[in-house]
Amino acid sequence: METIHHAPRIGENNSTAKTLDHETLTEIIRLSLWAGQLLLQYGAPSQTVEETVHHIGTGLGCTWMDITVLTNSITVTAITVGDFRTKVRRVVKIGVNMQVICDVNDLSRRIDAHQLNTQEVYSELRFISDKASNYQPEVVIILVGLACAAFSRLFGGDLTTFFVTFASASLAMFVRQTLTKQFLNTLVIVFLTALTAGIGASTVHFLGISSEIALTSSVLLLVPGVPLINAAEDLIEGHIETGMSRGLSGALTALVLALGLISAMHLMKVSL
Amino acid sequence: MLSIGLLIQNTFWAAIAALGFAVLFNVPYRALIGCMACGALGYFVRTIATELLGSYIGISTLLAAISIGFLGLVFARYWKMPAMIFSISGAIPLVPGVFAYQTMLGIIQIADLQAETNPTLLVSTSANAINTAFILSAIALGIITPKLIFMRNKPIV
Repeated sequence: METIHHAPRIGENNSTAKTLDHETLTEIIRLSLWAGQLLLQYGAPSQTVEETVHHIGTGLGCTWMDITVLTNSITVTAITVGDFRTKVRRVVKIGVNMQVICDVNDLSRRIDAHQLNTQEVYSELRFISDKASNYQPEVVIILVGLACAAFSRLFGGDLTTFFVTFASASLAMFVRQTLTKQFLNTLVIVFLTALTAGIGASTVHFLGISSEIALTSSVLLLVPGVPLINAAEDLIEGHIETGMSRGLSGALTALVLALGLISAMHLMKVSL
Repeated sequence: MLSIGLLIQNTFWAAIAALGFAVLFNVPYRALIGCMACGALGYFVRTIATELLGSYIGISTLLAAISIGFLGLVFARYWKMPAMIFSISGAIPLVPGVFAYQTMLGIIQIADLQAETNPTLLVSTSANAINTAFILSAIALGIITPKLIFMRNKPIV
Protein backbone atom coordinates (compact mmCIF):
# COMPACT_ATOMS: atom_id res chain seq x y z
CA MET A 1 0.00 0.00 0.00
CA GLU A 2 1.25 3.41 -0.88
CA THR A 3 2.09 5.68 2.01
CA ILE A 4 4.12 8.61 0.83
CA HIS A 5 4.91 9.86 4.33
CA HIS A 6 8.50 9.64 5.36
CA ALA A 7 9.21 8.16 8.73
CA PRO A 8 10.13 10.85 11.26
CA ARG A 9 13.25 10.22 13.25
CA ILE A 10 13.37 10.65 17.00
CA GLY A 11 14.27 14.24 17.76
CA GLU A 12 13.56 15.44 14.25
CA ASN A 13 10.60 17.59 15.29
CA ASN A 14 12.19 18.80 18.51
CA SER A 15 11.86 22.44 17.53
CA THR A 16 8.08 22.05 17.30
CA ALA A 17 7.62 19.38 19.97
CA LYS A 18 5.76 20.64 22.98
CA THR A 19 4.38 18.85 25.99
CA LEU A 20 0.74 17.86 25.54
CA ASP A 21 -1.57 17.75 28.54
CA HIS A 22 -3.16 14.50 29.61
CA GLU A 23 -6.55 15.25 28.01
CA THR A 24 -5.03 16.02 24.60
CA LEU A 25 -2.98 12.83 24.80
CA THR A 26 -6.17 10.88 25.58
CA GLU A 27 -7.95 12.47 22.63
CA ILE A 28 -5.06 11.73 20.22
CA ILE A 29 -4.82 8.12 21.31
CA ARG A 30 -8.58 7.72 20.90
CA LEU A 31 -8.56 9.15 17.38
CA SER A 32 -5.52 7.23 16.16
CA LEU A 33 -6.89 3.97 17.59
CA TRP A 34 -10.20 4.63 15.88
CA ALA A 35 -8.45 5.07 12.54
CA GLY A 36 -6.40 1.92 13.17
CA GLN A 37 -9.53 -0.02 14.08
CA LEU A 38 -11.24 1.04 10.83
CA LEU A 39 -8.22 -0.11 8.80
CA LEU A 40 -7.85 -3.44 10.58
CA GLN A 41 -11.52 -4.39 10.51
CA TYR A 42 -11.87 -3.56 6.83
CA GLY A 43 -8.89 -5.58 5.64
CA ALA A 44 -5.67 -3.52 5.57
CA PRO A 45 -2.29 -5.25 5.96
CA SER A 46 -0.63 -4.90 9.39
CA GLN A 47 2.15 -2.67 8.11
CA THR A 48 -0.39 -0.17 6.77
CA VAL A 49 -2.29 -0.11 10.07
CA GLU A 50 0.91 0.47 12.00
CA GLU A 51 2.21 3.24 9.74
CA THR A 52 -1.12 5.05 9.53
CA VAL A 53 -1.70 5.04 13.29
CA HIS A 54 1.85 6.29 13.78
CA HIS A 55 1.43 9.15 11.32
CA ILE A 56 -1.93 10.23 12.76
CA GLY A 57 -0.52 10.28 16.29
CA THR A 58 2.66 12.17 15.47
CA GLY A 59 0.79 14.44 13.06
CA LEU A 60 -1.56 15.48 15.87
CA GLY A 61 1.39 16.41 18.10
CA CYS A 62 2.75 13.34 19.87
CA THR A 63 6.50 12.94 19.99
CA TRP A 64 6.30 9.23 19.25
CA MET A 65 3.83 6.38 18.88
CA ASP A 66 4.44 2.68 19.57
CA ILE A 67 1.93 0.33 17.97
CA THR A 68 1.34 -3.39 18.28
CA VAL A 69 -1.03 -4.81 15.69
CA LEU A 70 -2.49 -8.21 16.47
CA THR A 71 -5.16 -10.07 14.51
CA ASN A 72 -8.03 -8.86 16.68
CA SER A 73 -6.65 -5.93 18.61
CA ILE A 74 -4.41 -2.88 18.43
CA THR A 75 -2.33 -1.54 21.32
CA VAL A 76 -0.98 1.99 21.15
CA THR A 77 1.30 3.96 23.41
CA ALA A 78 1.28 7.71 22.70
CA ILE A 79 4.33 9.53 23.98
CA THR A 80 4.82 13.22 24.62
CA VAL A 81 7.64 14.98 26.43
CA GLY A 82 7.54 13.67 29.99
CA ASP A 83 4.27 11.73 29.71
CA PHE A 84 2.70 8.76 27.93
CA ARG A 85 -0.59 6.88 27.70
CA THR A 86 -1.39 3.34 26.53
CA LYS A 87 -4.68 1.95 25.31
CA VAL A 88 -5.89 -1.33 23.84
CA ARG A 89 -8.68 -1.49 21.27
CA ARG A 90 -10.44 -4.74 20.48
CA VAL A 91 -11.21 -5.07 16.78
CA VAL A 92 -13.76 -7.35 15.16
CA LYS A 93 -13.18 -8.26 11.52
CA ILE A 94 -16.13 -7.26 9.38
CA GLY A 95 -15.10 -7.63 5.78
CA VAL A 96 -13.30 -5.75 3.07
CA ASN A 97 -14.13 -2.11 2.44
CA MET A 98 -11.65 -0.32 0.19
CA GLN A 99 -13.53 3.01 0.42
CA VAL A 100 -12.78 3.19 4.16
CA ILE A 101 -9.12 2.26 3.63
CA CYS A 102 -8.85 4.92 0.94
CA ASP A 103 -10.50 7.60 3.12
CA VAL A 104 -8.42 6.83 6.22
CA ASN A 105 -5.23 6.89 4.14
CA ASP A 106 -6.22 10.28 2.75
CA LEU A 107 -7.04 11.55 6.25
CA SER A 108 -3.66 10.44 7.59
CA ARG A 109 -1.89 12.31 4.79
CA ARG A 110 -3.73 15.52 5.64
CA ILE A 111 -3.02 15.08 9.35
CA ASP A 112 0.62 14.45 8.56
CA ALA A 113 0.70 17.77 6.70
CA HIS A 114 -0.74 19.40 9.88
CA GLN A 115 -3.91 20.52 8.10
CA LEU A 116 -6.37 19.25 10.73
CA ASN A 117 -6.94 19.62 14.47
CA THR A 118 -8.38 16.91 16.75
CA GLN A 119 -11.96 18.17 16.45
CA GLU A 120 -11.82 18.05 12.65
CA VAL A 121 -10.23 14.59 12.73
CA TYR A 122 -13.06 13.42 14.97
CA SER A 123 -15.76 14.60 12.57
CA GLU A 124 -13.88 13.16 9.56
CA LEU A 125 -13.63 9.75 11.26
CA ARG A 126 -17.31 9.88 12.21
CA PHE A 127 -18.13 10.66 8.58
CA ILE A 128 -15.98 7.77 7.29
CA SER A 129 -17.49 5.32 9.79
CA ASP A 130 -21.08 6.27 8.98
CA LYS A 131 -20.67 6.34 5.20
CA ALA A 132 -23.07 4.00 3.43
CA SER A 133 -21.78 1.45 0.94
CA ASN A 134 -21.06 2.77 -2.57
CA TYR A 135 -23.13 0.08 -4.24
CA GLN A 136 -26.69 -1.09 -3.76
CA PRO A 137 -26.95 -4.72 -2.52
CA GLU A 138 -28.71 -5.66 -5.79
CA VAL A 139 -25.84 -4.26 -7.86
CA VAL A 140 -23.36 -6.25 -5.76
CA ILE A 141 -25.41 -9.44 -6.24
CA ILE A 142 -25.52 -9.04 -10.01
CA LEU A 143 -21.87 -8.08 -10.46
CA VAL A 144 -20.59 -10.81 -8.13
CA GLY A 145 -22.71 -13.33 -10.03
CA LEU A 146 -21.24 -11.99 -13.25
CA ALA A 147 -17.70 -12.27 -11.83
CA CYS A 148 -18.22 -15.95 -10.96
CA ALA A 149 -19.76 -16.54 -14.39
CA ALA A 150 -16.68 -14.86 -15.90
CA PHE A 151 -14.53 -17.37 -14.01
CA SER A 152 -16.53 -20.19 -15.57
CA ARG A 153 -15.55 -18.81 -18.99
CA LEU A 154 -11.91 -18.64 -17.87
CA PHE A 155 -12.10 -22.33 -16.89
CA GLY A 156 -13.47 -23.15 -20.33
CA GLY A 157 -17.17 -23.51 -19.56
CA ASP A 158 -19.86 -23.25 -22.25
CA LEU A 159 -22.75 -20.79 -22.40
CA THR A 160 -25.19 -22.92 -20.33
CA THR A 161 -22.58 -23.25 -17.60
CA PHE A 162 -22.11 -19.47 -17.77
CA PHE A 163 -25.79 -18.75 -17.10
CA VAL A 164 -26.21 -21.43 -14.43
CA THR A 165 -23.09 -20.15 -12.67
CA PHE A 166 -24.41 -16.59 -12.88
CA ALA A 167 -27.74 -17.61 -11.34
CA SER A 168 -26.33 -19.81 -8.58
CA ALA A 169 -23.55 -17.37 -7.62
CA SER A 170 -26.05 -14.49 -7.51
CA LEU A 171 -28.38 -16.56 -5.35
CA ALA A 172 -25.46 -17.49 -3.09
CA MET A 173 -24.48 -13.82 -2.78
CA PHE A 174 -28.06 -12.98 -1.82
CA VAL A 175 -28.01 -15.70 0.86
CA ARG A 176 -24.68 -14.36 2.12
CA GLN A 177 -25.98 -10.79 2.40
CA THR A 178 -29.17 -11.92 4.12
CA LEU A 179 -27.35 -14.10 6.64
CA THR A 180 -24.73 -11.42 7.34
CA LYS A 181 -27.53 -9.13 8.52
CA GLN A 182 -28.55 -11.83 11.05
CA PHE A 183 -25.13 -11.68 12.80
CA LEU A 184 -24.52 -15.37 12.16
CA ASN A 185 -21.04 -16.77 12.69
CA THR A 186 -18.88 -16.11 9.61
CA LEU A 187 -18.00 -19.76 9.06
CA VAL A 188 -21.66 -20.79 9.29
CA ILE A 189 -22.44 -18.15 6.65
CA VAL A 190 -19.66 -19.50 4.42
CA PHE A 191 -21.01 -23.05 4.82
CA LEU A 192 -24.60 -22.12 4.00
CA THR A 193 -23.55 -19.91 1.08
CA ALA A 194 -21.37 -22.66 -0.40
CA LEU A 195 -24.26 -25.10 0.09
CA THR A 196 -26.60 -22.78 -1.83
CA ALA A 197 -24.08 -22.22 -4.61
CA GLY A 198 -23.39 -25.94 -4.83
CA ILE A 199 -27.06 -26.89 -5.04
CA GLY A 200 -27.66 -24.19 -7.66
CA ALA A 201 -24.66 -25.21 -9.76
CA SER A 202 -25.55 -28.92 -9.59
CA THR A 203 -28.62 -28.26 -11.75
CA VAL A 204 -26.24 -28.06 -14.73
CA HIS A 205 -25.72 -31.82 -14.27
CA PHE A 206 -29.37 -32.45 -15.09
CA LEU A 207 -28.98 -30.49 -18.32
CA GLY A 208 -26.48 -33.12 -19.36
CA ILE A 209 -23.31 -31.05 -18.92
CA SER A 210 -20.38 -31.82 -16.64
CA SER A 211 -21.02 -29.88 -13.43
CA GLU A 212 -17.35 -29.50 -12.42
CA ILE A 213 -16.81 -26.02 -13.88
CA ALA A 214 -20.14 -24.66 -12.63
CA LEU A 215 -19.51 -26.03 -9.12
CA THR A 216 -15.97 -24.68 -9.05
CA SER A 217 -16.77 -21.19 -10.29
CA SER A 218 -19.99 -20.47 -8.41
CA VAL A 219 -18.31 -20.77 -5.00
CA LEU A 220 -15.44 -18.45 -5.96
CA LEU A 221 -17.24 -15.50 -4.39
CA LEU A 222 -16.35 -17.09 -1.04
CA VAL A 223 -12.66 -17.69 -1.69
CA PRO A 224 -10.80 -15.77 1.03
CA GLY A 225 -8.58 -13.85 -1.40
CA VAL A 226 -7.94 -10.77 0.72
CA PRO A 227 -7.10 -12.58 3.99
CA LEU A 228 -4.75 -14.90 2.11
CA ILE A 229 -3.01 -12.12 0.15
CA ASN A 230 -2.74 -10.05 3.36
CA ALA A 231 -1.38 -13.08 5.20
CA ALA A 232 1.42 -13.50 2.68
CA GLU A 233 2.09 -9.74 2.63
CA ASP A 234 2.28 -9.65 6.46
CA LEU A 235 4.71 -12.57 6.44
CA ILE A 236 6.92 -10.89 3.82
CA GLU A 237 6.92 -7.63 5.78
CA GLY A 238 7.85 -9.35 9.03
CA HIS A 239 4.48 -9.40 10.81
CA ILE A 240 4.70 -13.12 11.43
CA GLU A 241 1.94 -13.39 14.07
CA THR A 242 -0.77 -11.63 12.06
CA GLY A 243 0.41 -13.38 8.91
CA MET A 244 0.08 -16.81 10.48
CA SER A 245 -3.32 -16.14 11.99
CA ARG A 246 -4.72 -14.56 8.83
CA GLY A 247 -3.44 -17.49 6.82
CA LEU A 248 -5.05 -19.93 9.24
CA SER A 249 -8.39 -18.15 9.14
CA GLY A 250 -8.23 -18.08 5.33
CA ALA A 251 -7.48 -21.81 5.26
CA LEU A 252 -10.37 -22.45 7.65
CA THR A 253 -12.72 -20.52 5.37
CA ALA A 254 -11.56 -22.60 2.39
CA LEU A 255 -12.12 -25.82 4.40
CA VAL A 256 -15.66 -24.83 5.41
CA LEU A 257 -16.31 -23.79 1.79
CA ALA A 258 -15.28 -27.26 0.62
CA LEU A 259 -17.47 -28.86 3.30
CA GLY A 260 -20.47 -26.86 2.09
CA LEU A 261 -19.77 -27.81 -1.50
CA ILE A 262 -19.37 -31.51 -0.66
CA SER A 263 -22.63 -31.46 1.29
CA ALA A 264 -24.38 -29.93 -1.71
CA MET A 265 -22.89 -32.57 -4.02
CA HIS A 266 -24.09 -35.35 -1.71
CA LEU A 267 -27.54 -33.83 -1.50
CA MET A 268 -27.81 -33.50 -5.27
CA LYS A 269 -26.05 -36.85 -5.92
CA VAL A 270 -23.50 -35.20 -8.19
CA SER A 271 -19.82 -36.00 -8.35
CA LEU A 272 -16.96 -33.87 -9.66
CA MET B 1 -1.80 -23.78 -28.44
CA LEU B 2 -2.75 -20.27 -27.54
CA SER B 3 -5.16 -18.55 -29.87
CA ILE B 4 -5.31 -14.77 -29.98
CA GLY B 5 -9.11 -14.68 -29.99
CA LEU B 6 -9.36 -16.81 -26.87
CA LEU B 7 -6.68 -14.76 -25.14
CA ILE B 8 -8.55 -11.50 -25.80
CA GLN B 9 -11.82 -13.09 -24.71
CA ASN B 10 -10.33 -14.43 -21.50
CA THR B 11 -8.63 -11.13 -20.74
CA PHE B 12 -12.05 -9.50 -21.01
CA TRP B 13 -13.58 -12.05 -18.61
CA ALA B 14 -10.72 -11.52 -16.17
CA ALA B 15 -11.53 -7.80 -16.19
CA ILE B 16 -15.19 -8.61 -15.47
CA ALA B 17 -14.15 -10.88 -12.59
CA ALA B 18 -11.97 -8.10 -11.16
CA LEU B 19 -14.91 -5.68 -11.51
CA GLY B 20 -17.24 -7.99 -9.57
CA PHE B 21 -14.79 -8.35 -6.73
CA ALA B 22 -13.99 -4.61 -6.75
CA VAL B 23 -17.70 -3.94 -6.21
CA LEU B 24 -17.80 -6.58 -3.47
CA PHE B 25 -14.87 -4.77 -1.79
CA ASN B 26 -16.68 -1.41 -2.06
CA VAL B 27 -13.98 0.24 -4.15
CA PRO B 28 -14.59 3.96 -4.90
CA TYR B 29 -16.44 4.48 -8.23
CA ARG B 30 -13.62 6.21 -10.04
CA ALA B 31 -11.17 3.40 -9.18
CA LEU B 32 -13.30 0.68 -10.82
CA ILE B 33 -11.79 1.08 -14.27
CA GLY B 34 -8.30 0.85 -12.75
CA CYS B 35 -9.21 -2.39 -10.98
CA MET B 36 -10.50 -3.83 -14.26
CA ALA B 37 -7.30 -2.83 -16.05
CA CYS B 38 -5.17 -4.48 -13.34
CA GLY B 39 -7.26 -7.66 -13.52
CA ALA B 40 -6.97 -7.81 -17.31
CA LEU B 41 -3.23 -7.11 -17.31
CA GLY B 42 -2.54 -9.73 -14.66
CA TYR B 43 -4.42 -12.45 -16.48
CA PHE B 44 -2.89 -11.45 -19.82
CA VAL B 45 0.68 -11.57 -18.50
CA ARG B 46 0.10 -14.88 -16.72
CA THR B 47 -1.40 -16.53 -19.80
CA ILE B 48 1.42 -15.26 -22.03
CA ALA B 49 4.04 -16.47 -19.55
CA THR B 50 2.42 -19.87 -19.07
CA GLU B 51 1.48 -20.61 -22.67
CA LEU B 52 4.24 -18.97 -24.68
CA LEU B 53 7.22 -19.14 -22.34
CA GLY B 54 6.00 -22.37 -20.75
CA SER B 55 6.92 -21.30 -17.24
CA TYR B 56 5.62 -22.90 -14.04
CA ILE B 57 2.35 -21.30 -12.89
CA GLY B 58 4.02 -19.90 -9.75
CA ILE B 59 6.62 -18.03 -11.79
CA SER B 60 4.12 -16.70 -14.31
CA THR B 61 1.85 -15.58 -11.44
CA LEU B 62 4.82 -13.74 -9.96
CA LEU B 63 5.39 -11.93 -13.27
CA ALA B 64 1.68 -11.12 -13.50
CA ALA B 65 1.56 -9.83 -9.93
CA ILE B 66 4.63 -7.65 -10.45
CA SER B 67 3.01 -6.05 -13.48
CA ILE B 68 -0.21 -5.53 -11.49
CA GLY B 69 1.84 -3.95 -8.71
CA PHE B 70 3.48 -1.45 -11.04
CA LEU B 71 0.23 -0.60 -12.87
CA GLY B 72 -1.45 -0.19 -9.45
CA LEU B 73 1.29 2.21 -8.42
CA VAL B 74 0.77 4.29 -11.58
CA PHE B 75 -2.98 4.45 -10.91
CA ALA B 76 -2.35 5.23 -7.24
CA ARG B 77 -0.23 8.25 -8.19
CA TYR B 78 -2.78 9.36 -10.78
CA TRP B 79 -5.93 9.00 -8.65
CA LYS B 80 -4.23 9.75 -5.28
CA MET B 81 -5.42 6.51 -3.69
CA PRO B 82 -3.61 3.63 -1.98
CA ALA B 83 -2.13 1.24 -4.57
CA MET B 84 -3.61 -1.66 -2.61
CA ILE B 85 -7.11 -0.82 -3.91
CA PHE B 86 -6.08 -1.55 -7.48
CA SER B 87 -3.64 -4.36 -6.87
CA ILE B 88 -5.81 -6.47 -4.53
CA SER B 89 -8.89 -6.32 -6.77
CA GLY B 90 -6.71 -6.89 -9.82
CA ALA B 91 -5.00 -9.89 -8.23
CA ILE B 92 -8.28 -11.67 -7.43
CA PRO B 93 -8.47 -13.41 -10.86
CA LEU B 94 -5.01 -14.85 -10.09
CA VAL B 95 -5.94 -16.21 -6.64
CA PRO B 96 -5.68 -20.02 -6.79
CA GLY B 97 -9.25 -20.55 -5.60
CA VAL B 98 -9.49 -23.84 -7.44
CA PHE B 99 -6.22 -25.19 -6.04
CA ALA B 100 -7.19 -24.00 -2.53
CA TYR B 101 -10.51 -25.69 -2.40
CA GLN B 102 -9.40 -28.80 -4.28
CA THR B 103 -6.80 -29.14 -1.52
CA MET B 104 -9.60 -29.00 1.02
CA LEU B 105 -11.73 -31.44 -1.01
CA GLY B 106 -8.72 -33.76 -1.12
CA ILE B 107 -8.18 -33.52 2.64
CA ILE B 108 -11.80 -34.41 3.25
CA GLN B 109 -11.53 -37.36 0.86
CA ILE B 110 -8.30 -38.51 2.54
CA ALA B 111 -10.17 -38.58 5.86
CA ASP B 112 -12.57 -41.00 4.16
CA LEU B 113 -9.78 -43.02 2.56
CA GLN B 114 -10.49 -46.67 1.83
CA ALA B 115 -8.26 -49.43 0.51
CA GLU B 116 -9.64 -49.21 -3.01
CA THR B 117 -9.25 -45.40 -3.21
CA ASN B 118 -6.84 -44.16 -5.80
CA PRO B 119 -3.50 -43.69 -3.98
CA THR B 120 -2.61 -40.70 -6.17
CA LEU B 121 -5.08 -38.71 -4.06
CA LEU B 122 -2.36 -38.03 -1.46
CA VAL B 123 0.06 -36.84 -4.11
CA SER B 124 -2.44 -34.64 -5.94
CA THR B 125 -3.69 -33.10 -2.68
CA SER B 126 -0.14 -32.27 -1.57
CA ALA B 127 0.61 -30.82 -4.99
CA ASN B 128 -2.53 -28.68 -4.82
CA ALA B 129 -1.59 -27.44 -1.34
CA ILE B 130 1.95 -26.56 -2.44
CA ASN B 131 0.69 -24.83 -5.58
CA THR B 132 -1.79 -22.80 -3.52
CA ALA B 133 0.96 -21.66 -1.17
CA PHE B 134 3.38 -20.83 -4.01
CA ILE B 135 0.84 -18.90 -6.07
CA LEU B 136 -0.40 -16.93 -3.06
CA SER B 137 3.13 -15.98 -2.02
CA ALA B 138 3.87 -15.03 -5.63
CA ILE B 139 0.80 -12.75 -5.73
CA ALA B 140 1.68 -11.06 -2.44
CA LEU B 141 5.38 -10.73 -3.27
CA GLY B 142 4.55 -9.42 -6.74
CA ILE B 143 2.08 -6.75 -5.73
CA ILE B 144 4.31 -5.39 -2.98
CA THR B 145 7.43 -5.39 -5.20
CA PRO B 146 7.00 -1.70 -6.21
CA LYS B 147 6.64 -0.84 -2.53
CA LEU B 148 9.77 -2.80 -1.67
CA ILE B 149 11.68 -1.02 -4.44
CA PHE B 150 10.43 2.56 -4.22
CA MET B 151 9.28 3.03 -0.62
CA ARG B 152 12.22 2.02 1.47
CA ASN B 153 11.35 4.14 4.49
CA LYS B 154 13.30 4.02 7.66
CA PRO B 155 11.23 1.73 9.89
CA ILE B 156 8.90 3.67 12.17
CA VAL B 157 9.36 1.29 15.07
